[in-house]
Amino acid sequence: MEIISLTQDKSKMNASFIIKKIDPTIANTLRRMIIEEVPTMAIEDVEIMKNNSVLYDEIIAHRLGLLPLTTDLKSYVVKSECKCEGKGCARCTLQMTLKSKNGMVYASDFKSKDPKVVPAYPKTPIVKLLKGQEIELVATAELGKGKDHIKWAPCMVWYKYKPIINITQANIKDPEAVVKVCPKGVLEVRSGKLEINQKKLMLCNLCAACADEAPNSIKLNEKDDEFVFYIESFGQLKAKEIIVTALDMLKKELSVFEEALNTMK
Amino acid sequence: MMIPVRCFSCGKPIAQHWEEYKERAENGESRKEILDSLGITRFCCRAMFLGHVDLIDTAAKFKKF
Repeated sequence: MEIISLTQDKSKMNASFIIKKIDPTIANTLRRMIIEEVPTMAIEDVEIMKNNSVLYDEIIAHRLGLLPLTTDLKSYVVKSECKCEGKGCARCTLQMTLKSKNGMVYASDFKSKDPKVVPAYPKTPIVKLLKGQEIELVATAELGKGKDHIKWAPCMVWYKYKPIINITQANIKDPEAVVKVCPKGVLEVRSGKLEINQKKLMLCNLCAACADEAPNSIKLNEKDDEFVFYIESFGQLKAKEIIVTALDMLKKELSVFEEALNTMK
Repeated sequence: MMIPVRCFSCGKPIAQHWEEYKERAENGESRKEILDSLGITRFCCRAMFLGHVDLIDTAAKFKKF
């Protein structure tokens, strides 16, 4: 297995990389572990003391649930695996309060007891209050997993086969026509020859329009063991943290499986 | 009513960009350029902005049951 890091943006929230010499099963396992098993914080229970805004309690609670909260994985454990046996304690839950009287209520108005767990995007509007309207609530955030609800999923993650385009020049009659047919502009003509524009190669989505245009001279992806992964964090965790935690969780799952096998007769 | 916190299709949080988007759109900037500069690349998220109508001020005039 070989891993090549492609890009990471300044915020370290988005990343992409290539993994070589794995099969689709492993690629998909990694994707599913990231979406389903990486724990993050999200608001689960909302106790509303006062709300005479335009929005119903349920709508506000739903909006709060979807807010991404910055997550500190070291100081919290998943509620169902906690020593408190799912009752909720300081190790698995966190109380946050929101109290506001006028204007737009933003996610930044939340008062959290833990400075490490706050809304990832402070400018998110929650509800607009008119004169005389007020809102007061206590929200309980907890560590959860994406398999229970998508609000606990840490990121968008997707992969594709790494585009490999093999061009044999022999019988391409009209290179310009092949260039025109590519929707992503991956191909170009250089001194009468059909070439790949290396800067744009990663945009190729293997639609095979070029191979249809020149069936005997262009071949796409004869190997299927190289994958390009893309990770776009929702804001709770950094891209690197997400991958590392996903691999830890996979290791844990496999050891549970191994134990189960050992008890079998 | 209010802009949804996340994109309906892909789940990306988008609501934090709404006020900037609204202000810039009112100043006559092209919507394509605003969305490009906000980093909203997928058409599902872009549609959330293009199709949204802020109705909370209108709805606030009526009584809630």
